[in-house]
Amino acid sequence: MTDILEAAFAILIFPGGLFALALGLFLKGTDRKVLARLQRRVGPPLYQPVLDIIKLMTKETLIPSTANEVAFRLAPVLGLTGVLVTAAVMPIGGVWSGVNGLGDLLILLYLLPIPAMGLMLAGGASSSPYGALGFSREMCLMFAYEMPLIASFLAVAVRVGGATGSLLSLPAIMDYQFQHGPLLFDPVMLPAALALILFIPGTMGSGLFDIPEAEPEVIEGPLLEYSGPLLAVFHLMSVVKLVVVLELAVALLCPNPLVAGGGAGVLANLAWHICKCLVLLMVSVTCFRAATGRLRLDQGFSFFVKYTSPLALVSLGLAFMLR
Amino acid sequence: MTSTTYTLPVGPLHVALEEPMYFDIQVEGETVRSVELAAGHVHRGMEALAMQRNYFQNVTLTERVCSLCSNSHPCTYCMAVENLSGILVPQRAQYLRVIADEVKRIASHLFNVGIMAHLTGFDSLFMHAMEIREIMQDAKEGVYGNRMNLGQCIISGCRRDIDDSTGPFLLGQLELLKPQLDELYGVFERDPLIRTRTRGIGLLSFEAAKRHAVVGPVARASGVAYDVRRKAPYAVYPDLDFEVQTDTKGDVHSRALLRLREAVESVKIIKQCLRQMPEGPINIKAIPPIPPGEAVARSEAPRGELFYYLRSDGKDTPQRLKWRVPTYMNWEALQDMLANCQVADIALIVNSIDPCISCTER
Repeated sequence: MTDILEAAFAILIFPGGLFALALGLFLKGTDRKVLARLQRRVGPPLYQPVLDIIKLMTKETLIPSTANEVAFRLAPVLGLTGVLVTAAVMPIGGVWSGVNGLGDLLILLYLLPIPAMGLMLAGGASSSPYGALGFSREMCLMFAYEMPLIASFLAVAVRVGGATGSLLSLPAIMDYQFQHGPLLFDPVMLPAALALILFIPGTMGSGLFDIPEAEPEVIEGPLLEYSGPLLAVFHLMSVVKLVVVLELAVALLCPNPLVAGGGAGVLANLAWHICKCLVLLMVSVTCFRAATGRLRLDQGFSFFVKYTSPLALVSLGLAFMLR
Repeated sequence: MTSTTYTLPVGPLHVALEEPMYFDIQVEGETVRSVELAAGHVHRGMEALAMQRNYFQNVTLTERVCSLCSNSHPCTYCMAVENLSGILVPQRAQYLRVIADEVKRIASHLFNVGIMAHLTGFDSLFMHAMEIREIMQDAKEGVYGNRMNLGQCIISGCRRDIDDSTGPFLLGQLELLKPQLDELYGVFERDPLIRTRTRGIGLLSFEAAKRHAVVGPVARASGVAYDVRRKAPYAVYPDLDFEVQTDTKGDVHSRALLRLREAVESVKIIKQCLRQMPEGPINIKAIPPIPPGEAVARSEAPRGELFYYLRSDGKDTPQRLKWRVPTYMNWEALQDMLANCQVADIALIVNSIDPCISCTER
């Protein structure tokens, strides 16, 4: 019984649910504000994403007559549920060590593509040619960025497991880093860390990889036909996904807490964790987005195949040799 | 059509298009197989309106054909009227017209390359280009009192003079603009993303450019050195020192760079005009009646050759006023440029001819 309560708490309130939503909206607002300042604009207030959601919630939902209504309504809900569950299994160094037995890299490999699948379902169900284009673009890009993701997961697992074999449990990976220092500063893991940092804009579709939802090309692709609360759910999905990928990278690369112990230390560690997420956000999303434009689908695909995957594979190879 | 192709409707309302136009595109995967263009969404009946208004009212009307070349239209119209009635425009007014035209050309070209950066998703560069364009907008507002429609041209000359206060201000804005324009050119020339996205797409060969009789920067980027300012000089262009920019690559990238180089040339032209401009009247107070007959005039608008035909039967309204705009010549060439391109490049290629739909459909 307590297990179920604990899991429900994790999914609905902390670290998933409300906490992930609030953090995501805050990160999104910061991203927009900083991007605006980088482009010498004033930019929206920090709470603009919240206002956007409230506005969309009051709007009418329009569903194209040719769309598959069930799939059309299901897609955003599926995506949001998926990311909320994923957020719930993300451990936070010094604050939360994850739901027992759930924080596993293999499970993450299944959970992480759910938002992309939600978008694909949306693109397919909306019966618009732009949605279909967005669908195929999302799928192509997913194939491209999953490869380096899996390779860097394996690199981390092999490195952490050492001679005893590979370790796939997130809490164990964090424990290793508490003892041996962050993997970010491990020269062997540096290429994989870079690959992981490049994975973030890939999966978030920012900067070079704003391909599936490219506004001037496919008019936001899968989201084109969405309006009102359903679109708001997609926006929420996107902000929680941002939290998930940032927290994942933090957990794999630098989860070390600021102070040890409980009480006020937990709050300090939480603030420290949010700071790390912010820094990562600035590097991998905001500045990346400000400094680049969008690649064509084929160019984006080959970017991951040519540069990102080999980086992760180098780390994997080195980790194997140094076991 | 086989089942592997499907129709991608682009327009008439589409975020990548500034103005309504419809492309019926057959797509196979991400590759464009055929393109049909359909126009007529912003037809306002301006040529019919022009026949119901007198010669003076038509100056105001033609200024409102389109906002980005809003000086070229009234200017060319006035030239046609002056050709018909034999009015001699004072020398100072000729210089003033050239200045207004070139100021608009800089702003128009910067707008186009800015939009190109936006279409590649490089919004920081878009903001940067628009910020630089803002210098020219300030110049327009300071000198003519308006950011888009300058209201400078009237039959027989110009409305406003550039005096001791506005002249140095305009010169100051140009001094401010020049280094930033050079910097922007470097960014567009060397930025890896812009190069990756825009080089080698939307190709228009020299032969194809000749066949479609394209005009303006589209023609010049394909190696056709056709510029009305040199081929059929008007106003004071023969007295001015500038170079017609050409390129041989004929792709989207070369067209953008060519526009930026032309903007630099325009800065040069305005500076010369401010230096050489003689003293004197800027228009003729008493205008003779417009005699029966017909006349043409052409000029180089930012998008290419603009052509006006005027026929008069001696009344105070034109019997017929017709104009041919550069986009009309250029958009047929889109069929060639869009052939077998990627869906992602459609917007970039269409933008590279700098289409002005409201000019074309009027």
